[in-house]
Amino acid sequence: MHSEPLLILVVATALAFDFTNGFHDTANVVATSMSTRALSPRVAVGIAAALNFAGAFISLKVAATIATGIVSTGAITLPIVFAGLIGACFWNLATWWFGLPSSSSHALIGGVVGSVLVAKGSHAVQFAGLLGKVIIPAFIAPVAAFAVAGLAIIFTYRLTARLRPGPAGRGFRLGQIFSGGMLSLAHGTNDAQKTMGVITLALVANGDISAHRVAVPDWVIVAAASAIALGTYAGGWRIIRTLGTRIIKMDPAQGFTAQSAGAAVVLAASHVGFPLSTTHVMAGGIIGAGAGKRLSAVRWGVAGNIAIAWLLTLPAAAAVGAATYAVTKAIGNGTLGPFVIAVIAIAAILAAMLRRARELQSEPATARR
Amino acid sequence: MSLATAIVDGHALLELVYVSLLAGVGVCVVYAVAVVGITRAQEARRASRHRSAALYALLAAVALGACGWAIVTGISIMATK
Repeated sequence: MHSEPLLILVVATALAFDFTNGFHDTANVVATSMSTRALSPRVAVGIAAALNFAGAFISLKVAATIATGIVSTGAITLPIVFAGLIGACFWNLATWWFGLPSSSSHALIGGVVGSVLVAKGSHAVQFAGLLGKVIIPAFIAPVAAFAVAGLAIIFTYRLTARLRPGPAGRGFRLGQIFSGGMLSLAHGTNDAQKTMGVITLALVANGDISAHRVAVPDWVIVAAASAIALGTYAGGWRIIRTLGTRIIKMDPAQGFTAQSAGAAVVLAASHVGFPLSTTHVMAGGIIGAGAGKRLSAVRWGVAGNIAIAWLLTLPAAAAVGAATYAVTKAIGNGTLGPFVIAVIAIAAILAAMLRRARELQSEPATARR
Repeated sequence: MSLATAIVDGHALLELVYVSLLAGVGVCVVYAVAVVGITRAQEARRASRHRSAALYALLAAVALGACGWAIVTGISIMATK
């Protein structure tokens, strides 16, 4: 099926998802820097946005995994990609509403897998790829970040135990500018590529790119990098509050080790081509940095809520992706179904934003951040 | 066993774990050494122990250099992928 209007709608939806990915995941990058007062909020999100943009140009290995390793490229159609993106956007906005740091990556993969399952059946899903490249790394990565941050904070505390807290704190706050920068770069490298992969899938489905020689076009890289950077600059303050203050009360050394652990794991994952969740990794790093100090320093109830959101992400996004595809098809073949869904989705998002804006006006200024 | 091997790229997973551990813990430890070096150098300078101050400053410089090298190496590895 070849349809330029539908392709434009799918690309626009993919970039909208990329924007939500940026503002949803801003928290991963800036929450620790803000929590320890290493950087002011606006400076932190400004640096994060610029480095997310730069990071998107560094590597394309994750984009290739998304485009070719999860579902059969030949089975993909534009309505399938569109429905998957709606599922991912829905889950991102729902978890943002409740202030839960869930995985944008898994929402995207879940949404696409759900719509493919309904449209083409289970044979079109590469379950081996899904398990080996998404689900198993999803369990290993936060554990690795937890272990890295936990070990790092133990060694760091031992080394700096006899220093006065003031100068040591200043040193680690300065270090956080660099560790946070590396994390932003790693986030751009890993996350912007997921949208590049999906847009590339749409181009393959529309016949603009050969399914046998999948390559990400330059304009896709620039557009995805810009969307994630803009989303990052917009910031997701609810999730920043959860990650920055509600899991552990962080000191600068913990902030530095959590960010360094997160950056190391995400960069290593990009290196081997796993589409990891920065959110999972960063939450694992923050919990590890807290537990390395003492286990009771971690608010395990908050950590449990985050874990439940993680477990629900793939199935919930898949369910919305599947339902969206079914509704799209019920409305009719071609462009009409996706356009109707897009109008409904935009109206729902605007209503949610307006409601949130009214809530913010009624909250005292100090409670917002 | 062969099915598990086919599904899970064990080598890549192992690489993910050991590269993360080495890089993450290594950078944090080396940076902590730099913080110790800078702080002790300042204290020694204030106490007019110039030799100690110079040694601690050298330690901090070497540690910061190692951190810088780690950052550049990380970015260059990503850029060549």
